[in-house]
Amino acid sequence: MAAWAERLAGVRGVLLDISGVLYDCDAGGGSAIAGSVEAVARLKQSHLKMRFCTNDSQKSRGELVGLLQQLGFDISEDEVTSPAPATCRILKERGLRPHLLIHERVRSEFDEIDTSNPNCVVIADAAESFSYQNMNKAFQVLMELENPVLISLGKGRYYKETSGLVLDVGAYMKALEYACGIKAEVVGKPSPEFFQAALQAIGVEAHQAVMIGDDIVGDVGGAQRCGMRGLLVRTGKFRPTDEHHPEVKPDGYVDNLAEAVALLLQHANK
Amino acid sequence: MAARRALKAVLVDLSGTLHIEDAAVPGSQEALKRLRGTSVIVRFVTNTTKESKQDLLERLRKLEFDISEDEIFTSLTAARSLVEQKQVRPMLLVDDRALPDFKGIQTSDPNAVVVGLAPEHFHYEILNQAFRLLLDGAPLIAIHKARYYKRKDGLALGPGPFVTALEYATDTKATVVGKPERTFFLEALRGTGCEPEEAVMIGDDSRDDVGGAQNAGMLGILVKTGKYRAADEEKINPPPYLTCESFPHAVDHILQHLL
Repeated sequence: MAAWAERLAGVRGVLLDISGVLYDCDAGGGSAIAGSVEAVARLKQSHLKMRFCTNDSQKSRGELVGLLQQLGFDISEDEVTSPAPATCRILKERGLRPHLLIHERVRSEFDEIDTSNPNCVVIADAAESFSYQNMNKAFQVLMELENPVLISLGKGRYYKETSGLVLDVGAYMKALEYACGIKAEVVGKPSPEFFQAALQAIGVEAHQAVMIGDDIVGDVGGAQRCGMRGLLVRTGKFRPTDEHHPEVKPDGYVDNLAEAVALLLQHANK
Repeated sequence: MAARRALKAVLVDLSGTLHIEDAAVPGSQEALKRLRGTSVIVRFVTNTTKESKQDLLERLRKLEFDISEDEIFTSLTAARSLVEQKQVRPMLLVDDRALPDFKGIQTSDPNAVVVGLAPEHFHYEILNQAFRLLLDGAPLIAIHKARYYKRKDGLALGPGPFVTALEYATDTKATVVGKPERTFFLEALRGTGCEPEEAVMIGDDSRDDVGGAQNAGMLGILVKTGKYRAADEEKINPPPYLTCESFPHAVDHILQHLL
C-alpha cells in the first residue's frame, strides 16, 4: 500500500472530475473507464459527500448527465458543477451580452442570455467550430470593444478523446489573448471560486476535501491552491511525464478512480 | 564603435524600402546600381509568409530592379534552412504560394511543424494534428508571430495567435525565424564571408529592421518611407546609426562615409 494514502485521513468530501476519470469521450458519445461506474456507486453508498466538478463546456449539463447515465453512472444534473451555468450567472450580474464562440451542443445553456449587440466574448470548447472564420469573428468583436472582456469556460490545454488527445479551450483562449493583448477571465477549474462553489454545494471545507482528476495543473494544482488535497489518476489525458511536473506535486497517484475510491474508503476515517 | 571594420555587406529590406506595393521608391533602381558599382555584397532580406522568392523577384524585375534570386533571403528561406539544419520533415502550415520555397523538402510522416500565415490551415482538425506532433517532441518553427494583419474586410488573425495556442497546449516555445531575430540576420550573412560588424542593414521598420540588425552587431539605417511614422527612430535603444529620407540617401551616405 502506498504510504501517501495516510494523507487521506480526515477527508469528508470528494470532488470528481468527469472526462478522463469517469469516461473518455468521442464523437459517438464515449466509453466508461474500467471500474469507474462501480467506484461512483461505492462512493455514493459511503459516508463521504461527493460532487462532480467538470470543465466540460462542449455539451449542456443535461446532455452530459444523460450520456453518463447511459454508460451506467448514478448521476443527476443537480450533482454537477459545470462552467456554463456559472458563466450565465456572471453575465446576468454584470449586464454582459456575449458573442458566443461555443459548440452547438451547449447553446441551450445560454437560452436565457441576451446576445444582441455584444459587449464581451464567451469562449468554450467549441471543438470543430474552432474554424478560422469563427475565431476571427470573436477577435473582431473584441477589437471593436473599448474594454474588451473575454470569458473562458476553463483554460485546459488538452483532453483525451478515444481517438487521441485534442486541443482544449485554453489553447484558443490564449490565441485570442495574444491577438488582442488582453487577459481572459476564467470560469471553471482551476479558478478558486469554481472549486469553492462545488464545495459549498456539499457543505465541506477545502481542508476536508480531495479532488480527483486527470489534469495535473487544472485539477490537482488548482485544488491544492485552494487548500484541498489532489489525486492524479493515470487515465484520460494522463501522460507519464506528468509525474515529473516541475510545479505540481499531487498528494498521490492512482491507476484509476476505482483505486482512488478503495484507498479513500480505507483511509478517510482515520 | 572601436570594433567596427570596413564595410563589406549591405542588407536591404524590400517592401517599404525599395518599393511600396507596385511602385518603386523614386531613385532606388539608380541607387542600387551605384551600390553595385562598389565592392560590397548586397543581400535583400524580408519577412514574408506567403510570397515565394519567385513572386518577389517577379515584382522587383517589373519595377526594373537588377536583382537575382540567390540574393534574396526571406523568413521562408530562414525556416527552410532551419528545417534542413535540424534534418526534420515538417508539416507545413503555410500559404500555397509559399510552397515553392520548400521544394525538395520531405514532408511525409512529419516530425516538425512550420507555421506561416495560412488562414486556410488554422482550424481545429489541422491544429490538433500539429498539436499531437508537438506533444511527441516535434520542434515548432514560426515564420513570424504577428498578432494580426489588415485585410480588405478588416483586421484578421495572423500566425502569432495560433503559434501561441500550440505553445500553451504543449508547454513549449516556438523558434521564430524572421526579423527581428538575431539568427535571421546572421543566416542572411551566411555564405557572404562577412561578419555582422562588417555589415549595414537598411529598412523602414525601426524595430524589425534596424533594431534587429543592430542587436546582431550590424549598423542600422532607418529610411522614412513605407511604414515609417514620425519618431519611429526613438522606439529603439540604441537609436538607429542613421535615419534618412529614403534608400537613395542611405546609399549616398554609405558611399561617402562607410567605404
